[in-house]
Amino acid sequence: MCFKNLPVEFDAQGNAHLKGGVADPYAYQPREIKRDKLEELLARNGHIKDVSISPVTRVAGALSFHAVADLQERKFLDANSIATIFRGYEVILKGRDPRDAIYISSRACGVCGGVHSTAACEAIEMAFGISPPPLGTVLRNLALALDFLYDHPLHLFLLAGPDYSQVVVQATSPAMWEKAQVTEAPNAEVHQFKTIGDIMKGLNPLSGKLYLDGLKMTRTPREAYSVLFGKYPHPQTVVPGGMSSTVTITDFNETYTRLQKMIDWTKRMILLWDDLTEFFYEYNPEYKKVGARDANLIDLGMWDDEVSYDASYARCNEWGEARWATPGVVMNGELVTTKLQQINLGLEEFVEHSYYENWTQNGNQRFRTDPSGAPLSPNHPWNKETMPKPSKESWKDRYTWDTAPRWDRQVVEAGCYARIWTTAAAGLMPKNDFMEATGHSLKFHMPKTMLREMDFEWQIPAIWNAFERNRARAYCMGYNLMMAYTMVLKAFDYLRKGEDKVSTKFEVPMGERVGVGFWGAGRGYLSHHLVLDKGAIVNYQIVTPSTFNASPKDPFGNPGPYEEAVLNTPILEDFDKPSEFTGVDMLRAIRSFDPCMPCTTHIYGGEREIVREVNTCACSAEG
Amino acid sequence: MGEIPEKHVGQAGSHEQRASSTAGLPDQVGNVARRTMEELAEDIVASQGKSKFSLGPLEKVYVFWLAGMSCDGCTVSVSGATEPALEDLLTGSIPGVPLVVLHHYVLQLESGDHYIQTLVNAEQGKLDGPYVLVYEGSIPDENLSAGGEPFAGEGSLPLWAGSTERRRVSTAEWMKRLGPGAAASIAIGTCATWGGIPAAYGNITGSMSLMDWMGKDYRSALGLPVINIPGCAPVGDNFTDAVQAILLFLQGLGPLPEFDELGRPAWQFSETVHTHCVRAGFYEEGTFAREYGDKECLVEIGCWGPVVQCNITEKGAIAHMGGCMNSGAPCIGCTMPGFPDKFSPFYKAPPGSLLSSNASRLLGSVVRNLRRISQRERNREIRWHDSVPSGWAMEKGGTSITHKILEVFYEALQFQGAKRPERDPQKKFPAGYRSLPERVYGDQDYQVLPEDRAKKAEKRA
Repeated sequence: MCFKNLPVEFDAQGNAHLKGGVADPYAYQPREIKRDKLEELLARNGHIKDVSISPVTRVAGALSFHAVADLQERKFLDANSIATIFRGYEVILKGRDPRDAIYISSRACGVCGGVHSTAACEAIEMAFGISPPPLGTVLRNLALALDFLYDHPLHLFLLAGPDYSQVVVQATSPAMWEKAQVTEAPNAEVHQFKTIGDIMKGLNPLSGKLYLDGLKMTRTPREAYSVLFGKYPHPQTVVPGGMSSTVTITDFNETYTRLQKMIDWTKRMILLWDDLTEFFYEYNPEYKKVGARDANLIDLGMWDDEVSYDASYARCNEWGEARWATPGVVMNGELVTTKLQQINLGLEEFVEHSYYENWTQNGNQRFRTDPSGAPLSPNHPWNKETMPKPSKESWKDRYTWDTAPRWDRQVVEAGCYARIWTTAAAGLMPKNDFMEATGHSLKFHMPKTMLREMDFEWQIPAIWNAFERNRARAYCMGYNLMMAYTMVLKAFDYLRKGEDKVSTKFEVPMGERVGVGFWGAGRGYLSHHLVLDKGAIVNYQIVTPSTFNASPKDPFGNPGPYEEAVLNTPILEDFDKPSEFTGVDMLRAIRSFDPCMPCTTHIYGGEREIVREVNTCACSAEG
Repeated sequence: MGEIPEKHVGQAGSHEQRASSTAGLPDQVGNVARRTMEELAEDIVASQGKSKFSLGPLEKVYVFWLAGMSCDGCTVSVSGATEPALEDLLTGSIPGVPLVVLHHYVLQLESGDHYIQTLVNAEQGKLDGPYVLVYEGSIPDENLSAGGEPFAGEGSLPLWAGSTERRRVSTAEWMKRLGPGAAASIAIGTCATWGGIPAAYGNITGSMSLMDWMGKDYRSALGLPVINIPGCAPVGDNFTDAVQAILLFLQGLGPLPEFDELGRPAWQFSETVHTHCVRAGFYEEGTFAREYGDKECLVEIGCWGPVVQCNITEKGAIAHMGGCMNSGAPCIGCTMPGFPDKFSPFYKAPPGSLLSSNASRLLGSVVRNLRRISQRERNREIRWHDSVPSGWAMEKGGTSITHKILEVFYEALQFQGAKRPERDPQKKFPAGYRSLPERVYGDQDYQVLPEDRAKKAEKRA
């Protein structure tokens, strides 16, 4: 039984139905946000500080953050995550030829290059009733493994990395810098940075070796990606029913040599992040609380098994569990489901604290059930009608362009770490030479390059915080790399067998069709929900990882993941006067999620005109 | 490559070194290193000592990167550039090119007001160098969001001087405030250059391009209209290439960079992507891809290349590698002002191809076959007459009479007005001298394969 809060039960055959005897099963009463006490404190106390960071830099896209900090107790009392951009992408998609969805939705986010086009493609394949030939699927997997090999280093060394660099540590915790310089790095023999201080120097922006090498290493996978898939971001080789790459031996050779370079570097970098993490824990165990949350995670899995994947909704549980990354939801550290259908049924989006109107009020619900007959919430993306209601920023009412997606009405976070977690915990990864999911860890073997062959094991951590997110991301580089390597070998295998077809013919259907693309981005969970009729798009909805992570409070009173992570973060930096407080611990917590705002705020605008309430905006003032 | 000896950076990290440019702000929130990225870059340069001679008047240029309705794809592209590479520009490592002090929300060390302060300083003319604006993403019509939160905001400012209340500032407003004082304004990517997808049919945010927003009369401090570097995403190198060309020109070193009538770097965008396409030859011979993955010309499965101005097939996507058609992707016109609506629906053959590709199919069927004939002869060594010693296939030695006759005419044309290579070694020596082949083989034709020679000798015997 995977749901705790939703009124859905499963019978012995696993078929879902609504619990009996409930009049309005999905109804709820929104909880008010109370801030009276907080405002009283703010007015009275000199050490209670209203912290507004606009913009939060070193994240992709436009994010601002507001918090109330108690500088004496060294904790946060309130937190608001604010998305500050709105583009109305899905209204542009509405009423268009479905073939446009792939390239238009791709442009929702240019940070991870081809994830949206692939998710759109899978949604279209479900709606069209087609699926790619085996090599087509293998190529797609390879593309999306290479994609993240650019994405994770970018985050680790250019976005999050500087927060752990000498210049920042020295400024916010001089004693730690002293200690770091004399602490030997346990894995120095592999990564060649003698002390933790050397690692921190390496992370210095613009001058550190790790920073500069990290930047260069983001290019290596993009070169391979461009050779096989044209360009990065927004590759135009993703087509319904496969890929349009013309594969040649040279393309694969060029990819192969780049993988070899990455294997060498990745071996070093995984151990380096291990060393850095353990140093912080040892220096002050309080760092284990930075960005801490209960381990509530969601992922849709990705990288299809080329034999199982048929793009059908009816068989989505089977082909979902056959994926190279297993779909799943983790609640309090326990895996509660690995079934794509259940993950889909549990998904709802709420807009009580976002600049949108609630679409469920008129009682019209497009779909009462999913295509397999299981009950579907009126708050599910297939039923969503987002109606923008731009208003004044108010911490009690509405304060972001992001919505609040929830699963089973609980707060879940998405990330590459969720992907490696659900894969490790489920233990369903296809048999192969390099990787193994054990149920409590993910093991991977990296062959000999310049460095000796090495075995790595990412253990499901007992605690969940900013450092574990970053550490898991470093291990994900290894996981993705061996995934890419496996896919190159698989592609070789198909070419040896003469199965070199990469696409399937398709026609645009004229009837009503529904589709969903269950996929993953660099930051985890990604779904595209599509409704077609008369050869045109009737509804298009995108739910991205940062839609979850950057979400505001939900109607049940739960803060979004960034907000919750900041609320759990102790203030550990050094300062003498309140004016010297920088907020570095809170920024470390936020950045550990690898925020990506462009796709968070793709949002569909509905059919209404935008009507503004005319008032003055006061960002930091309570409205 | 701008790698700095690490000991210098250690010194650069001590924040007492000099007063920060954001020192006037009331608190340090967001200023995690207690110094800004700009100061860090300058410290790195300073740690290398003062240069004895200079190659031009400019020492540094500030670049403010603003984003509107953007996906960050242009930023990502530019981070991949290598000709020159971003890090070389940012560390002042290219002789003659001034230090580029980049102010970018994705890379900046500091957040919040400390990040915004440099923009304020620029507007107030307090910077110690000229600044360039780079805008990524389309510009929404913030009249539609008047009174509320802007569609695309960056940072917040006091509502009025001295006020504790603040308002979020739209990037469109930043553009208007900083535009007149900028040395140049560069629109990067198709959203900023032509509106792109946020400005496509059905857009509810009133999105438009930077040119549309700044107006026809806009001129930068150097008298330049908006410079446009289109592409979705653009080739990152097109941006750094253009920036370096402009900077070298301003230094009095490089030639004048030319721009076309829409403000595109002319050397990058004046030809169609088809001109340099690796598949253009297939088009010429009238052979077309039937399904995705085929190696031929992609026009009939949705490629708009012949009418699209772009250089990706020549320049590659990154480090001269990839490029849409190079790897099998049809061109969807993403560098063009008409993108996306004038190229939709994607994957459908452009109407013009009905005429043009059939014309080339007709001509190509003749040309292609003639070429195969001359190709066949050119695929033979001069000593392959009766047989070909390839162990790979049953390659025929002899050729048909028709082929031989055609080849006679072909060769006559080939050497018309030119000297045919002299075949007889005897004619290359003074009279009376016997060349080595003649001494060994007599006056028999020695330009044959050894095994054929044996056969010939047998025949003669």
